[in-house]
Amino acid sequence: MDSQGRGLSESVWTSLDRKAGAVVELTVRQLRHKVSTWAVLGLGTLLMVLLLVFYIDSVRDGFESIDNDGDSFDMDNDGYPMGQEWKYGTSDWDGESFPGSGNFIFQGQIDWNDPDRTVSGNKTWEGQAILDASWIDYDYTGGTWSNIIDWETYESNDCAEGAPFEDWWLPYASSCLQEDGTYAFNGRVRASGQLYVPEGSYLSWGIFTEVFYVEPDPPEMYIDEDGIDWAEGDSGSQGFDDDGDCFRIGWITGDDWWEYQHEPDANRNGIPCDVVWVVDPVTGEVIYIDPDDYVDEDPVDEEYAGESSHRAFVIASGKIAFVLLLGLFLPLFLALGLVRDETERGTLHYLLSKPIHRGEFIFYRVLGYMAVVSSFVIVLALLMALITSLIGPGDELIRFGDFPVWMGIAAATILVLAAYGSLFNTIGLIMPKYGVYLCIIIGVWEFAMGFTTLFAPESSVTFLSISHWGLQMVDATVLAAWPDTLQYSQMSEAFGIDTGLQWIWKPPVHTLGTGNPYISIVTSITFLSLVSGVLISMGSSIFRRKEIM
Amino acid sequence: MSTDAPAVMLESVSKWYGEVIGVNDISLAIDGGVTGVLGPNGAGKSTMFKLLLGRLRPSQGEVRLFGTDPWKSTAPFRRVGYVSETEPLYEWMTGLDFVSTMARLHGMTREEATNRAEHVLDFVGLSDVRHKEVGKYSKGMRQRVKIAHALVHDPDLIILDEPLHGCDPLARTSIMSVIRELGNRGKTVIVSSHILEEIERITEQIVILHNGRLLALGNLHAIRGLLDKHPHRILIETESPRELAEAFISRDPVYGVRFPNPGFLEIQTSNLSAAHSILPQVIVDSGIKVSSVENPDDNLDSLLGYLVGGD
Repeated sequence: MDSQGRGLSESVWTSLDRKAGAVVELTVRQLRHKVSTWAVLGLGTLLMVLLLVFYIDSVRDGFESIDNDGDSFDMDNDGYPMGQEWKYGTSDWDGESFPGSGNFIFQGQIDWNDPDRTVSGNKTWEGQAILDASWIDYDYTGGTWSNIIDWETYESNDCAEGAPFEDWWLPYASSCLQEDGTYAFNGRVRASGQLYVPEGSYLSWGIFTEVFYVEPDPPEMYIDEDGIDWAEGDSGSQGFDDDGDCFRIGWITGDDWWEYQHEPDANRNGIPCDVVWVVDPVTGEVIYIDPDDYVDEDPVDEEYAGESSHRAFVIASGKIAFVLLLGLFLPLFLALGLVRDETERGTLHYLLSKPIHRGEFIFYRVLGYMAVVSSFVIVLALLMALITSLIGPGDELIRFGDFPVWMGIAAATILVLAAYGSLFNTIGLIMPKYGVYLCIIIGVWEFAMGFTTLFAPESSVTFLSISHWGLQMVDATVLAAWPDTLQYSQMSEAFGIDTGLQWIWKPPVHTLGTGNPYISIVTSITFLSLVSGVLISMGSSIFRRKEIM
Repeated sequence: MSTDAPAVMLESVSKWYGEVIGVNDISLAIDGGVTGVLGPNGAGKSTMFKLLLGRLRPSQGEVRLFGTDPWKSTAPFRRVGYVSETEPLYEWMTGLDFVSTMARLHGMTREEATNRAEHVLDFVGLSDVRHKEVGKYSKGMRQRVKIAHALVHDPDLIILDEPLHGCDPLARTSIMSVIRELGNRGKTVIVSSHILEEIERITEQIVILHNGRLLALGNLHAIRGLLDKHPHRILIETESPRELAEAFISRDPVYGVRFPNPGFLEIQTSNLSAAHSILPQVIVDSGIKVSSVENPDDNLDSLLGYLVGGD
């Protein structure tokens, strides 16, 4: 090399690079020799292993078919699943009401105020009355639950002294025999004769339609029986009520509060039993789904829940395990003492008696810390990516599409680690003794803002935290790498497919009104880098002016 | 940075910490050779070094290292090696590792740093243990590895804060010879101690600090000469103090005797050197057995006492 070339290679800059390299390397080696480094990295790894075990376990079980609308259950044990009872308009809360059991048709009543308090005929009666019967259907027997008189117990039960319903009261679904051969009853009776309703009591009556036999459907028929019907890419009224439980007639029978009135046009678009899909005309992504009740509500779970659950796992791991937990705990253990520990140990003078500007020194120290934590986060993210993309749902051997998301998670975590690292190091410089308490308070704030961001990312108070921007970056990366996540999230919410996706992921907020995830990524990177830069500058400036005893 | 500026220059420098004075109005210039900085604990030696190393900012006055203010610029540290009085090291590093890492902080390449580290470790006599962790070094070895780290970039000024403190006699001798050798090589060496005898064996050029003030600056022998003419005591431990006193009392430099304790004779003299020159002969002539001879005034405290103006 000629003299000029040699001069260049030995410039001030190369010497500076060497010093930077030496400080960074020394910092890395020091961190490697600290027990707390291995403890916190070990705990981080353990956390990921636990998450993976949980994930592998759920994958091995497969994404089993789930009865999303719960209509395969037989709540009243009458042998008919709820879905079949809905079709026939019978109640799944009443064992006497089942397909073919006959419908009760109301005909009349004597209420508390009616002056005429006698009635006769061959009916089904319900209420409180004295019955002078020519015929009683003793086979029509029940109990408290159905309110039908339990004839097996009460057929020859003698009444007490005094006037029934005036001097004493009968329990529900019971009766007693009076001395004159009439029955006093409180409940439902099928009988022919004359009835007297005492003052203050109530009786209604009607007839049951003809009873016929209906073969009970197997419960499996009501699982995954109503798939999502959507011509991909189209907005507007879509969906079809495959299992007919939206188009069922009238009311759900029964008069209990939980059996509400069925509304076939809950989305109020004038078309009963359909689903309104809103597709972004530019991106073609589904941005809103509004279904009527009981339409497309029980799709084949393997098709939707598998993919949604996998994404929910990746996003939850990225946001909670990587950004929130690793993001906070690694710097708390590794960055707070970057310079403070040297002062406490009395080794700082070895580093400060060298021709290295103190401001640069702070920067190189943080760089050294970043080298350790970044490589750890990248390795961990790659391992998670590899394992979950190998065993995740889908036909391909490896889900290559997952890798950009994991790298986005790693990048967001690294930026968060840089911001917290710069912050905690500066706090360690300003308050060597009590800084740790301030860091813990900041940690609590960051956790609170992080979790608020999970539920309400648009809440502006969360913008004042580092974790918010890290989490936003994950949300944005997810949308950029998996644009149809919005659709999966909307489907989970609209059709009640409970995979957690709609809970853990929300569209990114900081897109400057464009909805473009890349803009959100850029704003998050800018914010987090600025925070780190400002905090390092603050640390440098404080350290430059600090007298070291 | 001026090339012909003295290595160290302090101009009316004071440093106080709140009410407490660290150094008070010190002015001095040091360039070349070995200079001993003497003073009892708390005299301001370490404060002066911290001012020189830019760790403290002077409350008043100006500090210059090779003509540059070390508080504002780290540039002069290229030419400075510093051995602190503090004990800690990076215990997990080997000697070679420690010294070469420190060399790299001066901007050397990895290879240069290793070569230079090997060289200086050899110079301080630690070649054999260079691959051993410094955590396993003896006290003397630790001091020497600290000296090696300060020499690795071949500095023009070496500052050693109490380098002999806590070392065994063998380590002291070896460290002293290293310091003398550095002086012989034309380096500016500043070495502090609170023990006069240590400094005496290293250098003649001294600076004496007391209560943050500069008490004396110059040749140790000249200062000692002043001290010698001051009333001095020689304490002799003997079986027959009274007989021995008779032998001394008539001699010229001796103007008085005392018997402070049974078995001890104290000779009072105004010329310590002269008294010492006749001492052996008088003892031999008297035929009295003497077990020890001590100069209780020949220490820093007496010197300081004299310089401060007491007796």
